[in-house]
Amino acid sequence: MSAIYRSLIILLPLIVLITYGTILIADKDDAFTYFESKELPQFDLQDLEDRKIDLAAFNGISLLNVWASWCITCLVEHPFLTQLSKNEITLIGLNYKDSQVKAKQWLGKRGDPYIFSIYDPRGDLAFDLGVTGAPETFLIFNQQIIGHIQGELNQEKWQSTFVPLINAVTQANQ
Amino acid sequence: MIGEIAHFLSLASALGLILLLIFNVFFYTYGKHKNQDILSYKLFHQSCLLIFISFGLYVYLAITDDFSISYIANHSNSQLPIFYKITSIWSAHEGSMFLWIVFLTLWSTLFISSLSLKHPLKKGTMLMLTIIILGFLLFLLITSNPFERILPFGVLEGADINPVLQDPALAIHPPTLYLGYVGFVISFSFITAYLFHGDINYPWEKDIKNWSFIAWIFLTIGITLGSWWAYYELGWGGYWFWDPVENVALMPWLAATAFMHSLFASSKSNILKAWTLFLGILIFALSLFGAFIVRSGIIDSVHSFANDPQRGLYLLGFSGFITLIALGIFAYRLPSMHSSKLIVTGSKESFLSMNNILMLTAIFSIFLGVTYPLIIEFINGDKVSIGPPYYNTIFAPLILLTSIFIMISLEALWQRGMQARTLLIALTPTLVISSLALYFIWYFVESFSLLAYVGIYSGLLIIISYLLKAVASIKNKTYLNKGSFVAHMGLGLLFFAISMNSILSYQKNVNLFLGEQQYINNSISEFKFLDLQNIKASNHDVISAEIFIVHDGQSIYLNPEKRKYFARGQITSETAIYATALKDTYLTIGDQLDDGSWTFSLQINYFIKWIWFSSALMVIGILMTIFKKKIS
Amino acid sequence: MKVSTLILYGCIFFTTFLPAEAIYKFDNSVEEKRFYSLISEIRCPKCTSGSIASSDVPVSRDLKQKVYELILTGSTDKEIKAYVTDRFGASSDYRPAFEGANYLLWFGPFIFLGILMLIFLSNRRL
Repeated sequence: MSAIYRSLIILLPLIVLITYGTILIADKDDAFTYFESKELPQFDLQDLEDRKIDLAAFNGISLLNVWASWCITCLVEHPFLTQLSKNEITLIGLNYKDSQVKAKQWLGKRGDPYIFSIYDPRGDLAFDLGVTGAPETFLIFNQQIIGHIQGELNQEKWQSTFVPLINAVTQANQ
Repeated sequence: MIGEIAHFLSLASALGLILLLIFNVFFYTYGKHKNQDILSYKLFHQSCLLIFISFGLYVYLAITDDFSISYIANHSNSQLPIFYKITSIWSAHEGSMFLWIVFLTLWSTLFISSLSLKHPLKKGTMLMLTIIILGFLLFLLITSNPFERILPFGVLEGADINPVLQDPALAIHPPTLYLGYVGFVISFSFITAYLFHGDINYPWEKDIKNWSFIAWIFLTIGITLGSWWAYYELGWGGYWFWDPVENVALMPWLAATAFMHSLFASSKSNILKAWTLFLGILIFALSLFGAFIVRSGIIDSVHSFANDPQRGLYLLGFSGFITLIALGIFAYRLPSMHSSKLIVTGSKESFLSMNNILMLTAIFSIFLGVTYPLIIEFINGDKVSIGPPYYNTIFAPLILLTSIFIMISLEALWQRGMQARTLLIALTPTLVISSLALYFIWYFVESFSLLAYVGIYSGLLIIISYLLKAVASIKNKTYLNKGSFVAHMGLGLLFFAISMNSILSYQKNVNLFLGEQQYINNSISEFKFLDLQNIKASNHDVISAEIFIVHDGQSIYLNPEKRKYFARGQITSETAIYATALKDTYLTIGDQLDDGSWTFSLQINYFIKWIWFSSALMVIGILMTIFKKKIS
Repeated sequence: MKVSTLILYGCIFFTTFLPAEAIYKFDNSVEEKRFYSLISEIRCPKCTSGSIASSDVPVSRDLKQKVYELILTGSTDKEIKAYVTDRFGASSDYRPAFEGANYLLWFGPFIFLGILMLIFLSNRRL
């Protein structure tokens, strides 16, 4: 009987040690993704040019990118987004808590990689999406959200997080 | 130059400790030398001294604004008052680790020198302490060097320290806390040496009792200071958030409290000895775990230092290594520890054992709460948040059980059982009075919360039972352990105050224009926005409001502030508090709205002073216990 | 100094984007208590740790405002929590859901207690 207790006294701390060691070594990512898809929330907003938004834009694969003229990291992210748009990825902007004038100026100065940008000055759609700041990017397939990255979207995160999801979903639909 | 000397001294100290270990291994293998022990102790104390001098020089460097040292440049500033230049040393990882080691060394050198040369465990304890100090010293010098220079030239001015850190309570909180955590290295090492030595009959409890009590006092004060600071500084009236870093300070405290009780029983009767030994090792192991959690970055917390998995791995590995050594020796000696006597059901020892079990359960719950999210996230990426709702729910029944056992054990006898009937008769007055009191409270207080009422009842049981005991002892002229009385009254009061605070306190957001006056409720008949000032201080801008409040007939003037610091553009809110015995009137400035009016957050927090007072009572009670023999 | 100048200073001083109302006025004290209790149990999605009650970042303000509105329109505590976790994830609730693997979390301490009590009662040499 006491042999069991004695070995437990050694074993339990050892288990704690190994558990924490493993967790520590494991790679922690800024990005997180949904493992189940979510419906794109309904919204009653227009784009930066005051046009109505056609939800058909969200069919197929698209990226919904949360940005604002006051957001510094969005500047850093911008070249990569431009590159993606040139590679025929559909980019849709979500202009978050911004002034319409300043947003349009920002795009004018730096180039507009988006087919259009939703104008969300109060952050209503962003709130329903669970956005906590800019930049954030959602991967959308047929109006379903299948991926979400918080922070800057770059080559590395694109490759490791979004590309596998895109491949999985295109394969499943062939 | 001085930086290099200080750095060299730390390295020399490490070298000294390494040599110490090598010598002892050498002599152990090849036979004793005549003056071996005396030389060992000399080497040990001198190596410790080198660390103190090194740290002393480091303080000098901080005071004299040596911004060629990277750490000082990053955390201090020439404009800081000298006090805060010194306290900036422990505001981040490298410097606070240095302080940790200094305290580790301080406790060690004091304890070892307190043991006579003939003490059988002096050498073993010293060797264990050497290994521990060395491990952390090497960690400091290799991975977290506080002496690193900015080359080729230093910077002209330091980065401004976070203004939130320029606060006396917050500045003293880490040193007090560290003195507490680290103080239990004494029980850890001494017990390991005792177990290794193998002479079961040696009265080891005597030698570490007061040292452990003093460490407990520092730990209690450290945790209380942290809570007190959070309450008046952070602005939303809370004092405990079950944040992971708070939790890892609470775990050693619980183990230490169990240890103190068990120590008392262990020296009175041989039973419970194994428990006590285990707890004595567990406390420091939990302190080490805490250091690991805070410094590895494995947990997201506002408290944690900059993360670095490599440092984390070293800390985890080294902590695990020495804990496994200690527990290994403990497990090895366990059969010979076993008492021949059974613990009698219903005896005082049995209730002490029960309380040990409850303390361990409390420690386990906290450990589970801290570890569970990490494991779940590791397994399937889900993020779980565990906070006050969980801990409060788990702790309420544990606290109730603890209170019941405390109440019963007051009546229980050493090594003898009690008849259930006798027990019930003895307990009836306490149960009746507590239940009546609870009923009164329920009658007068509007809100009901099961958890809070469990807490109130628990507090009442302890307070009433000890009061009745005290009254009986005065009447019958029997013995009353006064230190225990005071400390447990403190505990009961703590449970009571925390619970009353949670059901009575409330909050109101007030929105009004400058010059306007409002009626808030029956209790707060007047809230008047008297004045708004814009002041420029040396390193920040201030918006200061003057508010006049009539609260339960009492006229109160409060001056909450909002500050914007130039260096980082940081905005802080200074809470204005008017504290009476029963409640605190607690006010912070909110925002100015588009229409020019201002919002204020007004909180009425009940029984806050009692919470701090109860902590003081517990400390006083333990002090009385330490000095008891010296008085009588 | 004129009051208007002071107000002007105040506006320039704190040029953050403010929601229209950060006031949370309740006529009903039960609702008011529910509000303050709920916001202390909802985690701030942007902060490293802490509830939205203790945080003033934009998304916390938005959440507090939403909780306020939902209480006024009659949602229950459960519905409000679900509303928040649907958008910001299950980790936004400081009270872990009582389901699935979380049973280990909620019952764990008591199972631990039970085991220790059993060992103690059957083997009173300790």
